[in-house]
Amino acid sequence: MSCIELNNVTTIYEGEEFPTIRNIDLKIDKGEFVCVMGPNGAGKTTLLESVNGLLDHTNGDVTVLGKDVEKRGTDVRKEIGYLLQSFTFSTEDPFLVEDVVMMGRAGRIGLIKSPGEEDWEKVYDCMDLVGIAEFAKKPIGKLSGGEQQKVLLARVLAKEPEILLLDEPFSDLDLKAKEELQELIEQIFERRGLTTLMVTHDLGSVPRVSSKIVLMNGGEIVLEGNPQEVIESQTWKSVYGFSLGG
Amino acid sequence: MIPLPTGLVLRVIIGAVLAGFTCSMMGTFVVQMDISSIGFSMAHAAFAGAALGLLLSVEPLLTAVGFAVLVAILLGPVSEKARLSPGVITGVSFSVTMALGFIFINLHPGPAETGAALSILWGSVFALTWHDLILLFLLSIGIVIIIGLFKKEFMAIIFDRKMAKASGISTRPFYFTILFLTGLTVAFSLKFVGGLLVYALIVNTAASANQYTYDIKEVFILSPIIGVICTLLGVWISLQFGFPVGTSIVIVTAVVFVFSVVFSKKRKKGKGLLDISGRSGEYGNRK
Repeated sequence: MSCIELNNVTTIYEGEEFPTIRNIDLKIDKGEFVCVMGPNGAGKTTLLESVNGLLDHTNGDVTVLGKDVEKRGTDVRKEIGYLLQSFTFSTEDPFLVEDVVMMGRAGRIGLIKSPGEEDWEKVYDCMDLVGIAEFAKKPIGKLSGGEQQKVLLARVLAKEPEILLLDEPFSDLDLKAKEELQELIEQIFERRGLTTLMVTHDLGSVPRVSSKIVLMNGGEIVLEGNPQEVIESQTWKSVYGFSLGG
Repeated sequence: MIPLPTGLVLRVIIGAVLAGFTCSMMGTFVVQMDISSIGFSMAHAAFAGAALGLLLSVEPLLTAVGFAVLVAILLGPVSEKARLSPGVITGVSFSVTMALGFIFINLHPGPAETGAALSILWGSVFALTWHDLILLFLLSIGIVIIIGLFKKEFMAIIFDRKMAKASGISTRPFYFTILFLTGLTVAFSLKFVGGLLVYALIVNTAASANQYTYDIKEVFILSPIIGVICTLLGVWISLQFGFPVGTSIVIVTAVVFVFSVVFSKKRKKGKGLLDISGRSGEYGNRK
């Protein structure tokens, strides 16, 4: 059984005439690492947000871990760690790193209950994992862009998700920070085996652990397959204007 | 200084403490979530409601609460659903409620009623009754209990609503609770601080508290303390010099805000900043 399944999904934003994604059929098995690629405006982020129900789809069915996202969105989101695209913080923001990471567990802890010792241990384990434990009591706005992104990744992991959705995790990062984060994401995948769907438009940031690339253009999936096949295909060439194949 | 009976002075002091506490507590949400325009509209809606209450000889607090809550209900879903910026929506709502408020005041039959209506604009130390204070006290307790029970959900929503939703929190009820409580706070503090100025008490104190710490939990503690000090000082100035209480409180909050910005450790270069941003091991693991 697929971990994530989209059947004929179309999403039209309120007030828009044309769908941002249309007739999407996609199946992702448990433990797969899938990259969603495509040019700007291809509908990659819309696809991710249709998966976790942050965005209501107009037609079709989205099923995650056997649950209908339309009906049980909040339950589904408790099992999904979603790293949003391009987040920056003001240097004045009054939020300490450890509190930001703990916020990721809020949905899992449940209403009214306060975080216990075990929750704090999980939070510190995640901060250790991504290498930000030393910043635990610092304000998030005082960290570099790469460190902030790691804090948000720790926050996502702190909820102990079964699925990771990563939306352009390397955008706005310098080369060093990008390489560090890329390595970290690969390590997390290898250690925890989380089903991962990562949006990127940069071929250089496709992790070697990716089992599949889903290529989108104009709101549709135009090709999916193993990374090598996709980037050497004629479809890739027609979308991006170049091919890495012979 | 105007000589006042002890009972009235007591009422004024209790009113100042409660209004300062509730306004600055809700102000922390308003400032951190950047929803000042929504709360601003609520303040003016409450003013229009109170003016209508006086015109119809109905308890002004009731109509003020009704108007403020109505605007909270309208603005919550509208600002979420409409593809207009909240600034535009609240701009329209602000102007309409102000216009209604002045129409209601203009329709008052005599100078006595008009004077009472105008006191809603500027606030009055004489307007608060024990009944108002009990309601304000119950609201304060309610706010503390609600924030205490759902602390982690509110923190996550203040940080970022979309991220909070993605974390599995049903953000909508909490967001609407914040709007609803802000509406009640504005309406209950209206008689004391005044419809035109109550919002400054909400924003200025929370914005001042924000200058002193990088920890949101401390902002929630500091903000009410600053709020209570400001309202008590404002009341003292009002009684000492015969100024309207609302204007006195707002001037004090503005001075405190300017002072806080000037002396904020967030704007200082040198040791204060290095202590925060340094990479030393002073931030040891909790484990």
